[in-house]
Parts: sequence; structure tokens; C-alpha cells
Amino acid sequence: MVALAVVLTVVVLLLGLLVAGLLRSHADILKALHDLGAGVGDPAAPGPHHDVRLLATARGATDRDGAPGLVTMGPPLPPERDTASAPAVAGVTPTGDALAVAVSGHDHPTLLAFLSSGCATCAAFWKAFEDPRRTGLPADVRLVVVTKGPEMEIPGAVRALARPGLAVVMSTEAWGDYEVPGSPFFVLVDGTTGRRVGEGVAHRFEQVTELVRRARVDARSFEMAVRDGSGHPDGPDGREGGHGGVGLDGPRREAANDQVLAAAGILPGDPSLYPRSLADVFPPAGPPGTALGTGDRG
Amino acid sequence: MPVLRAHGIEASLPHGMEGRIFVRPTVAAETPYPVAHFATFPLPDETGDFGGGAVNLMGVDDLFVVLFEYGPESAGTRLFARRGMPRTLRTSDFKPYLLRRGLGGQAGTQWFFTEAGRPFTLYAVLGSLARRHALVPRVNALLAGMVVSPAPVPVEQGAAPWN
Repeated sequence: MVALAVVLTVVVLLLGLLVAGLLRSHADILKALHDLGAGVGDPAAPGPHHDVRLLATARGATDRDGAPGLVTMGPPLPPERDTASAPAVAGVTPTGDALAVAVSGHDHPTLLAFLSSGCATCAAFWKAFEDPRRTGLPADVRLVVVTKGPEMEIPGAVRALARPGLAVVMSTEAWGDYEVPGSPFFVLVDGTTGRRVGEGVAHRFEQVTELVRRARVDARSFEMAVRDGSGHPDGPDGREGGHGGVGLDGPRREAANDQVLAAAGILPGDPSLYPRSLADVFPPAGPPGTALGTGDRG
Repeated sequence: MPVLRAHGIEASLPHGMEGRIFVRPTVAAETPYPVAHFATFPLPDETGDFGGGAVNLMGVDDLFVVLFEYGPESAGTRLFARRGMPRTLRTSDFKPYLLRRGLGGQAGTQWFFTEAGRPFTLYAVLGSLARRHALVPRVNALLAGMVVSPAPVPVEQGAAPWN
């Protein structure tokens, strides 16, 4: 009987230690989440990562481009880089030569196809590139395949997949420059502006040609808006295709968006900017003709 | 600034320029040596060593530059007596009659020299002689960023590289 009592006591003590350890681990997790700003605890309390700079909006400050009302989150990009910049692609070819392709300064677009030799989805694209006439790309679009560099790819495998005459650059740096999430990934660069005008993932080449087509239609719409002098998102006379801040990116694009919102009466602090539920963003369908709730979200 | 590096030639490309450094496949008993092409316009897939198939695509604001290596037997000959690549070309160095293929309005220049013990010729074409004052500085910017290393010692086929 005494032995049983001793055993039970030891078991209870061990379980108590286990519970204490779990509670301690849970507390550490909560603390880490709080430090990451994941909304645990009092959101009003200042924390080490609550340094989103909203002050520019509140004070009506201007940024380096003179754009008012900016909200800056995260580290700033280098001055020569933004999410639409298109640097030259330089690396080596599968045969060990060096190759650099300038994607700007021309009057034609360049389609960068980020592929790898091993991915199953990429195989269809390598196959499609064997006959350039069957790709369906407009004749003035320059196709350049970009794989990772020889330190991460097998040049012999790439060489076996690439037909002669196909421009293939092996450059891990280019994957970083264009923020490629994985292969296959495609980026269309407008040679005149040197900006990315379309990018995305595709599983069939028909989707890529559609990406090119849509990007070029959009670009033409933007050019029309520029010629019209339109600063309104729907053009000066309400036509679709106008675009405030055409060709802008980064802080100036944000500033242009803020101007459009302000023109619509949506100022900093407007409740519509802080939805609390999905219903606030997508209200229930209204009567016919209601702009929101029709399923068309722009 | 993108950097091209292959076959003992390195080039830092000024903005808006593209290029390739390559060795053509061997044909018969010929021994090919490295060739470098640089241009401000898209280089066609099939471009001749000295710009055939490319110079005819140039606009008036375009450049085309070739660095062509000769065999080591040429080193030490009078043609290649000049030591070092010319790094600063003058506008007066470019003449229409120095073009390998005379195209209206264009101008070219060609230099033979030895750098790092390797014999080369440098051939540069301007899209427009009339715009030489704007174009020649861009050629010089390219030349300033080029580095030639001594040729690697060839390894005989069949011999282990450590012997």
C-alpha cells in the first residue's frame, strides 16, 4: 500500500512537471508571436515591431520624389530597384560561353522564361521552344530562357533540352533580380520603358501567349491614357482604360493611388480602409446595377 | 552593371548594352578562338565574327564592338606589335572606309594588339558617323571595363590534368 502511494506520488509529480513544461513552451510561443506582431495580446501596446511608418500620412509629409501621403512598410528597396524594374540578364550559356541580354532600350518586348531542367511542368515549354513558329508568340517578342546558374543546374541537361539558336542564359542572379518564386515563371518586359508589364506562372504555353496578349493590350490602353492626359482611373470621360499614375511604381504609384482615393472622398482613417469582416469588403449582392456584389471585382 | 566572363575575357557592360563571349564549334582542322560581341541592340542568333547579319540591323544610335582573338602563332608578329588594348578611342579614329561592310552613314575602326600575351583585333562600328561625339564615349565606357587574362594552358587530350 505504501509502495502504491509512493508510485502514485511520483507519477503525479512527473505529470506536474510535464504540464509546467508545456505551459512554459506555450508562453514562449505566445511571446514570439507577440513580438512578430501577430495580434496576440493588446494590439494597442507598443512593441518592438510596431514601427510601420504611418506618420507620413498623418503629417502630410513628402517622400524623396515629392509624393505626399506615403505609407512605408518594410525595408526600402535600393533606389534603382522596384517591383517593375527589369535589369539586364547576364550569365553563361549551357556550352560555357558568356551571354548578356539587355531587355531595355529597344522597341520590342522580351519574354523571359524562367525554367529548370528538372521540373516536369517545364518539359512542355522546352518542347514548345523547339519550334519557335509554333509558340504563337508575336513575331517581335524576343524569347530568352533563363535557368539557374551552373552551380545549381546541370549545364549538360540544359544543353540537351535547348534547341540550337534558342537564347539560354544560366544565371541564379537573374532569378533573384526578378523575384522568381519557382519554375516555370514568365516575365514580359517592355523594351521601350524597360519595365515589367506582365509576369506570372503558366502550365501551358497558350497561357503565356495570353499573358503576352493581355499585357500588350493593357500597355496600349495605358499609352492612350497618357496621350489623353488622363489622371483618372477610368479616363477623362469615364472610358475604361484610363489609368492614374500610368507607368508608375513604388512610392509614386502609392501616391497616385492616394490621390485617386482622396478624389473619391476616401481620406486617411476612412472606415472603409479598415474592414473588420469579409462582408465589409464584399457586401451582399444589391439590386441590379450595384457596382459591388456583382462578382466583378475589377 | 552586368558582367560577362568567359574564355579569359571579362567585360562590364554599360547600361543598355548586351553581349556574348563565345568560341565557335570546331570545323574540320580549324582551331577556333574566343570572340566577343557587344551591342546596343539585340544581337541576332547568327552573327558573323565581324558583325555580318548584325550591323545591317543597327540604328543611328547603336554600337557594335567585336573583340576577336587570333591563334598564338600570331603573337609577336608586327601586326600585333601594339601592347595592350586601346582604351580611349577618338572620334577621328572612326572612318566610313574602315568598315568591313560599307553601310551608308556608318563608320568603323579596327586595331590589332597583344594583351596578356594573346593577339586580338578590336573592331567597332558606329551606327552613324554624324553621331560619333555621342557614341564614341559609350564605346570607351565599354573598353574601360574589359579585362583580358592570359590564355589558360591547354591540356592534351588523354593526359591526366595532374601529370
